[in-house]
Amino acid sequence: MTTTRSGERLVPPKAGTDAGALRLDRLTKTFASKSGAVTAVDDVTLDVRPGEFITLLGPSGCGKTTTLRIVAGFETATSGHILLDGTSIDRTPPQRRTMAMVFQSYALFPHLSVGENIAYGLKLRRHDHDDVRTAMQIALTSMNLVGLENRFPHELSGGQQQRVALARALIMQPTVLLFDEPLSNLDAKLRGAMRAEIRRIQRRLGITSLYVTHDQDEAMSMSDRIVVMNKGRVEQVATPAEIYFRPATIFVADFIGRANFVEVVPEQVTDGAALVNALGERLRVAAHPAVRANSPAYLMIRPETISLQPAGDAGIGAVLRSTFHGHSVDYEVETISGTLHVTEAGPDPDALIDVGTNVAITLRPDRSYVLNGSWTGPDRTAPTD
Amino acid sequence: MTMLVPPPPAPVETAPSNRPRRRSRDVGVTVALVASVLLVAVGSVVPLTAMLSTALSGSALPRYAQFVTSSTDLAILRNTLVLGLLVGACGTAIGFLFAFVQTRLAVPGKRILHVVALLPIVSPPFAVATAAIVLYGRQGAVTHGLLGVEYDIYGLDGLVLVLSLSLFPVAYLGMLGMMRGLDPAMEEAAMNMGASRWQIFRTVQLPLLAPGLAAPFLLLFVEGIADLANPLALGGDYTVLASRAYLAVTGEYDTTSAAVYSLILLVPSVALFLAQRYWLGRKIRTTITGKPSGTVHLITGWARWPILALAVFVSLIVVSLYGTVLLGSLTRVFGVDNTLTLQHFREVVLGAGREALRDTTLLAAVATPVAGLFGLLIAWLVTRRLRRAAGWLDFAGTLGVAVPGTVLGIGYLLAYRPDRYVGDLLVLPGLVGGTAIAGGSLAIVLAYITRSVPAGLRTGGAALTQLDPGLEEASMNLGAGSVRTFRRVVVPLIRPALLTGLSYSFARSMTSISTVILLVTPNTKIITSQILSAANTGRYGVAFAYCTVLTAVVLAGFGLIRLLIGGAVVLHRTAAPTGRTPR
Amino acid sequence: MAPLPHPRFRAMSILLTVAALAAAAGCARSDAGGRGAKDAGKVVVACGATEEWCAAMTDRFTEATGVEAEFVRLSSGETVARLQAGKANPEFDVWHGGPADGFVAAGEQGLLDPYVSANAAAISDRYKDPSGTWTGVYVGVLGFCNNSRILAEKKVSAPRSWQDLLSPGLGKNVGLAHPSTSGTAYTMLWSQVALHGGDAGAALEYMRRLHPNVLQYSKSGIAPAQQAARGEVGVGVIFSHDCVATQEQGFKDLTVTFPAEGTGYEVGGVALVRGAHNSTSARRYVDWALTPAAQEIGPSVKSYQVPTNPRAKVSEKSVDLRTVKLVDYDVAAAGRAKKDLTKRFDAEVAQAPKS
Repeated sequence: MTTTRSGERLVPPKAGTDAGALRLDRLTKTFASKSGAVTAVDDVTLDVRPGEFITLLGPSGCGKTTTLRIVAGFETATSGHILLDGTSIDRTPPQRRTMAMVFQSYALFPHLSVGENIAYGLKLRRHDHDDVRTAMQIALTSMNLVGLENRFPHELSGGQQQRVALARALIMQPTVLLFDEPLSNLDAKLRGAMRAEIRRIQRRLGITSLYVTHDQDEAMSMSDRIVVMNKGRVEQVATPAEIYFRPATIFVADFIGRANFVEVVPEQVTDGAALVNALGERLRVAAHPAVRANSPAYLMIRPETISLQPAGDAGIGAVLRSTFHGHSVDYEVETISGTLHVTEAGPDPDALIDVGTNVAITLRPDRSYVLNGSWTGPDRTAPTD
Repeated sequence: MTMLVPPPPAPVETAPSNRPRRRSRDVGVTVALVASVLLVAVGSVVPLTAMLSTALSGSALPRYAQFVTSSTDLAILRNTLVLGLLVGACGTAIGFLFAFVQTRLAVPGKRILHVVALLPIVSPPFAVATAAIVLYGRQGAVTHGLLGVEYDIYGLDGLVLVLSLSLFPVAYLGMLGMMRGLDPAMEEAAMNMGASRWQIFRTVQLPLLAPGLAAPFLLLFVEGIADLANPLALGGDYTVLASRAYLAVTGEYDTTSAAVYSLILLVPSVALFLAQRYWLGRKIRTTITGKPSGTVHLITGWARWPILALAVFVSLIVVSLYGTVLLGSLTRVFGVDNTLTLQHFREVVLGAGREALRDTTLLAAVATPVAGLFGLLIAWLVTRRLRRAAGWLDFAGTLGVAVPGTVLGIGYLLAYRPDRYVGDLLVLPGLVGGTAIAGGSLAIVLAYITRSVPAGLRTGGAALTQLDPGLEEASMNLGAGSVRTFRRVVVPLIRPALLTGLSYSFARSMTSISTVILLVTPNTKIITSQILSAANTGRYGVAFAYCTVLTAVVLAGFGLIRLLIGGAVVLHRTAAPTGRTPR
Repeated sequence: MAPLPHPRFRAMSILLTVAALAAAAGCARSDAGGRGAKDAGKVVVACGATEEWCAAMTDRFTEATGVEAEFVRLSSGETVARLQAGKANPEFDVWHGGPADGFVAAGEQGLLDPYVSANAAAISDRYKDPSGTWTGVYVGVLGFCNNSRILAEKKVSAPRSWQDLLSPGLGKNVGLAHPSTSGTAYTMLWSQVALHGGDAGAALEYMRRLHPNVLQYSKSGIAPAQQAARGEVGVGVIFSHDCVATQEQGFKDLTVTFPAEGTGYEVGGVALVRGAHNSTSARRYVDWALTPAAQEIGPSVKSYQVPTNPRAKVSEKSVDLRTVKLVDYDVAAAGRAKKDLTKRFDAEVAQAPKS
């Protein structure tokens, strides 16, 4: 373990140091409220490897921010433990945890200049004046803030404020970086740029990062692994690709991207694949380990994995509605078993399908998935948190 | 087999644009503005102008030369400024201490401290000063009886003590709101970067609150130097301009000198006021905008105990003073003959005091809603509606408290005692005196209002600066007129400020003395004038009984106001560590 | 947020203010509206005595004459200020109670109408204005209000002369008000002048010597009584009736003594307000106030001033004027000298450091 708050190390560590292994062990947090106890975090266990970028993703009220705040020390877990590099930090007060947090509201001190904001933590540590200067210059340079050090936060744009907040966290050389929806106050374009920037710096410095967001796109594009949370519980921990293609639960499948669910009863399950009947076809599709033969399951089909061909009377579906997006077209297709959502990327300008057209439907079994669970309809809480 | 897919999002219907009220908005603002200007003009500008015309008349001019050459007079000026600065600083510090305990300490008994901190809002003149003498004077029950010292409370130290303790509730309430409005994420960010509690306080909280401290400091400064009753009772050799002006009237029959002293007294108040405006105008607004996040972290370490002890110590002094008033009203001669008696109360409630009690309560009850409403209205106009004129209206609204009550009283006499004619047409009948309309009570109510508006103005202004203007814009965007927006959006949102403003107005009206003492008529008897009379003849038991009854009436008034306004709605995040809603 | 959209509004508000100012400041009538007006059969009294005394006086006046009477309790200065402001349309008919110097000041400002009541003949010339601007209704004598407990503690006997008051044993133990703000204290200062044969310098020299013994020059003349009562000082220099009244409140340690060299006194007056609406009733009130019956009311409400009418019965709690030596106190001269004398007092005495 090389990083300490004593701060001898002002030069960014090389990537791949083994410090920063974070373990959340059966964390539970219960809040008292007027209507009784509310369990915000329910038995969450998670291992974060040193240098890994992990995102806590979920709808509003899923417990992701609470989890983050427990890690930061702002909340105390009702039960469970947090271990940093094998040592419990349950009793370490937030100001002694070697973690730096980037706040949703940035929490920049409005009465301090950019420079003073960034140097705040180091000055508290009573670092040598020159050292602070040097470190600040590095931080300013790396965050592209040179020349702004004498401005005040309210004189900066949102993106600049965001970078100051990041610089202020990074200069502390934390073992773990914590992000609480840091990009939610930025416009879409800036958000994209900042994602890349955060990821780039995180990779370069190799700092273990825990990132909270409700934006699946953000999670997908930045994370090494994603923790999908729902109602205080962990639904799945996996790489973005796994989360997308091999969702563990209906909730995950539905929350990440868009999905069609078709009720099926697998005829047989072998070698992680199930034989199912859907849309008049017999398909062999990868299945979740929990799927059993002859018990009801769902076939998840991503809209962009379906292709349509105008087929006249031979078609098994009819286009109900089509929405043109430019880069893609969305179709809703009426089939014998309900409405199917289809997305065609890079549409052929001469082959757009008109509403009312009968179509043949081609599925891609290799990109679909069979999973258990109950699906009672769309349950997407508008992610506002 | 059924297929279930997310349904397409329902098309969002665009609401028909519906803003037909743009015109009426202007009318509403105009009416509010005209009413406010009129009230301020009639309540303070005109009487003060009448007074100033005396203070600036030819016969007064030599007095200024005398003033700047007289070491006595200059000492009085210096005394006044020192008193104001100390009261402002101490009162603000005490207010801050109590607000800090309330919002940042995890300690038991905060509710009691809150009540104690509000107690001095009702501070009948002479009561606290007299109680201070009885407890902490040369022969004080505490200083002499318990500690065995001959502490001379008369003078600056006694004045600062009593005035700070009497005035700090305003500072307390203001800072309570401010500290609750601070984004807790600021503190968390500092904590996250390794700041200790003390460092957070010093480097984050204090600088963030500093600009907000200016307002209570100013108010306390102005009230401190304008106060009359305490310098009279406790001043000793320490003379200030307010008592000097009063005594020029009462001891020397010299209204001109009184006007001159008053004018000089106005200078520091006005200067500070303008300085504050200038400073706040330039300084960035550190009121936090945006989405506050995080939870307030209450101090749970050992450091809370000394802070609490300090607050408890101050509370004990407050309680001891009010306790003395209560005991004093129930004993024959408190400290000398401690036999319990109801004789004083009998005199107040059944005897000579009954009329005064009835009249005062009635007049104050009339004045309170008007003062509360206008305080808020002016605050709203100033913060939201006016630009260049804002400073002037704000200033004029504050005048009622910035000038010593005696001066305002004399102004009322000069301005409203005579009937006013244009040619042979009676345009304004006299308002003051028994022969005036409504037996002179109109002038008293007007004086009450004028003296009370500033409190509502300050609390309302503070609350409004923390309120996102977007809420009002949204309301107007949806077609509500200005008046409706004020009534339906602004007033409910700053209800705590309204509650404070009204309560404070009522308390001020009930306890106001120096202005109305010149306005009382045979038909309108005023409690405070009875208190003064009782105190002047050494009947402290009766004076204390009056104060106790007065306090009871004011507290009952608070209860009633609270009932009508609907209590303080919780607009802030709760401070309880478990109160946070999970996300 | 839209600021005030039109300059019109600002103009309007300025206009309003100006209009209000003009209405209020411009055109007060200078002639007394009430002069010659019909007497309404009642009298409004500006009363400088205690609330109880005022109430008793007006009640008994109504009983005696059938004329209705109302009063407002005001200090002398407040009365002068209100008479001054209401000159054109006086709200009061009579001013009753309060020291004569206030009446002198009001008379000089032309706020009082001279009226020589038939009943004034009984009253000593010492206690009335020859022209009838005011007539004395009571006399208060300056004395020492002693707290015997404190004096015993300090091992000092109660002062019986102005010289006794200088005793070093009384360091910071004399309560005295400031002569420029308190009529009581000014009476004491002028008494010194009278005792020194009109030599203001000698009087101030005495005050300088007294200075180390004075706790503070309080603002109110009554304060020394309270200070003595609470034991904050051993001796308060005040009017003896105030001391007796305080004693009656239950402060049993208080005793009254008088200086042997001679002491000052105040005269409480009654006067007619110029331009009074009810001047006939007002005259009746003045007449009545000078009668023995009216002057005997005081003690019944714990005001122990001495009546000016020699036929009035003197309460045993009041000072017996025959036992006290009074200085020759010229109210008019005292009033004229006040400004200069208090100024000198401020400069030469009050600012000196103590001890």
